Amino acid sequence: MKASRMMKLLFLLTSLTLLLAACPAAVPAADSGSGADDEMTADFKVGLVTDVGRVNDRSFNQSAWEGVVESAEALGLAEDDIKYIETQDAKDYTDNIQQFIDADYNVIVSVGFALGDATTTAAKENPDVFFIGVDQFQGENIPNLAGLIFNEDHSGYLAGVLAGSLSQTGTIAAVLGTDLVPPVVAFNEGYVAGAQSVNADINVISTYHPGEISQAFVDPEWGAATAKQALDQGADVIFGAGGITGNGALQEIATADGAGETVFCIGVDTDQWNTVPAAQPCLVSSAMKLITPGVVELVTMASDGEFPGGNYFGKADLAPFHDFDDMIPQELKDLLAETKAGLIDGSIDTGYGN
Amino acid sequence: MATATSTTGIRRILRPLLIPSLALLSALLAGAVVMVLSGDDPMAAYSGLFQGAFGDGKGWARTIRKTIPFVLTGLSVALAFKVSLFNIGASGQFVMGSVFAVAVGINFEGLPVFIHLPLALIAGIVGGMLWGAIPGILKVYTGAHEVIVTIMLNYVASLFGGWTVYAGGTQGQTPGPLWDRTAGAISETPDVLHSAQIPWLFGPPYRVHAGVFLALAAAILVWWLIYKTPLGFEMRTVGHNMRAARYAGIRVNYTIILTMALAGGLAGLAGGIETLGLNHKFAPEFGGAVGFDGITVALLGQTHPIGVLLAAFMFGALDGGAATMQFQSGVPADIIQIIQALVLAFVAAPLIIRMIFRLRQQTADDAGSAVSTSWGGT
Repeated sequence: MKASRMMKLLFLLTSLTLLLAACPAAVPAADSGSGADDEMTADFKVGLVTDVGRVNDRSFNQSAWEGVVESAEALGLAEDDIKYIETQDAKDYTDNIQQFIDADYNVIVSVGFALGDATTTAAKENPDVFFIGVDQFQGENIPNLAGLIFNEDHSGYLAGVLAGSLSQTGTIAAVLGTDLVPPVVAFNEGYVAGAQSVNADINVISTYHPGEISQAFVDPEWGAATAKQALDQGADVIFGAGGITGNGALQEIATADGAGETVFCIGVDTDQWNTVPAAQPCLVSSAMKLITPGVVELVTMASDGEFPGGNYFGKADLAPFHDFDDMIPQELKDLLAETKAGLIDGSIDTGYGN
Repeated sequence: MATATSTTGIRRILRPLLIPSLALLSALLAGAVVMVLSGDDPMAAYSGLFQGAFGDGKGWARTIRKTIPFVLTGLSVALAFKVSLFNIGASGQFVMGSVFAVAVGINFEGLPVFIHLPLALIAGIVGGMLWGAIPGILKVYTGAHEVIVTIMLNYVASLFGGWTVYAGGTQGQTPGPLWDRTAGAISETPDVLHSAQIPWLFGPPYRVHAGVFLALAAAILVWWLIYKTPLGFEMRTVGHNMRAARYAGIRVNYTIILTMALAGGLAGLAGGIETLGLNHKFAPEFGGAVGFDGITVALLGQTHPIGVLLAAFMFGALDGGAATMQFQSGVPADIIQIIQALVLAFVAAPLIIRMIFRLRQQTADDAGSAVSTSWGGT
């Protein structure tokens, strides 16, 4: 009795295993289907490899992917011609890039500082494929690899001008990811310089996360506590620059007394009005890296055959003021516009890297 | 009667496979349900997964490459289970193994391969053993539960690993001792010297290294240790009943410390192999997540070395095929982690599996009981 029940179960198990094993039979059909597509359109394909995390991270991955989607629309690419792979493990960068190379993609976007090595190696091995390394500084010039990087000190400077002008107490603060990462330092130094340009006596409390890279950007509790401390010390405008750590600071300030009236916060990288809705009560603006337009420009250039190897500087700007637009005086808006122009033409020096 | 004994023989072999297979199957089915609920096509996903794991040479290479660390961390957890010890610390032991191995691997220029490479591997094992021995010693001499201690030591190892490669920052902090001085702001070690790198069996783009033989050898060695040596008998006896073992004259304290050290050594070897064979350097992001998966692999493998090999291969295939699955079907690769977590839920709770499939209660000497005695067996 027991034995026969056992056999039944085994039979069930075997048949289910066979069913699973039958799955790949469907694969060649699907594969040859997409192969036929290739031949029909002889098209242009763009792939994106994220850093560890999701493509809808409301940050770099998402901005870069939106750039790919936008450029696909501009170039009239089919939906199937753009794809992304979300990296699960830092060891997989090379494999994930290779997936796109094997599938004959023309442009491969890799998002984040951490993918730099893998992208450089792949670019050297595949000179016919264009690579866009978002946030990857290029030490050497490889013709088919463009590093999309930003003058973080510029957007930090704009944030500093805004913060210095808004502050009533004469004390502002910055809650920052680790100083191990140069862009974070650039944001801060630009911020301090910008604030000093409108108020030479301003007191800036800048605090870097003390941990190592793997913790510095994912510690919202520390961000919130540091923001609280800065508020207690009289800071009334606080710049949160450091991934989720910075978001923690923004959310803390959003719940503080006087948020949006006497106390303000400034976000970073993307327009955080959209990415961190909880910060809206205090969020006047964000010091942005315009990744999406940068990716669109580079993909378009690749498709035109005018791809620039080496470092490619994307634009830095402040995000819209959204609900605070009425609160910002016109003189300040003019000053910010002038400052932006001055940063671009080089007449204003943030002092970073000197 | 003759037929009865032969079916018993088959059952003896197949019986241990039953619960794990059903658990895996249930997890895949539950994963399919999740996909359907989120509007994805499970057939496309699983065929992409299969294609990615076994579809071509590169797929097999990915699967094998991913299997290697799972085998060793799985063995680490499984070995401790035999003594009713719950080693949650494979993650930290993996990191310590990586750090020790890389410390030897980036130094001693000019040594021949046949000295430098074994030396670096041994350093990895020693690093893991030290980290594994600490919870063993604390358990024996203070009664501290190894679960708590190993969990806490994971954090210590992770932070220690980060410190060794700390880049120093712009405010003049002292950089870590293993930091690559040419790496600028990046916290990582220099590349391991060629004389300490595990040779490729198949070079890039396949990237399968000879560490696969070490993993297989470790599985055989652990099997031999547990089932064929007096020490293994003592370990199993302590695992079954600590008081009886003590009464029988077995050195229980010694066995516990030694087992934890050996378990740590296996996870440390995993770190060493990954560092010397694949990453060729250490950086904080090459952390020990694979150590936590070792728990699932050990349970799925019914804490038997051969089972661990099979379970590690399954997990290697799941991870190896994940990216292709997303590429072909658009289903997020996170679903693989959901499936792996469900496998853990299903094997760790064999009762659920028995209820679903109406299996009769297993006898007490089945591997599942090792889990429960871990908590009560002081």
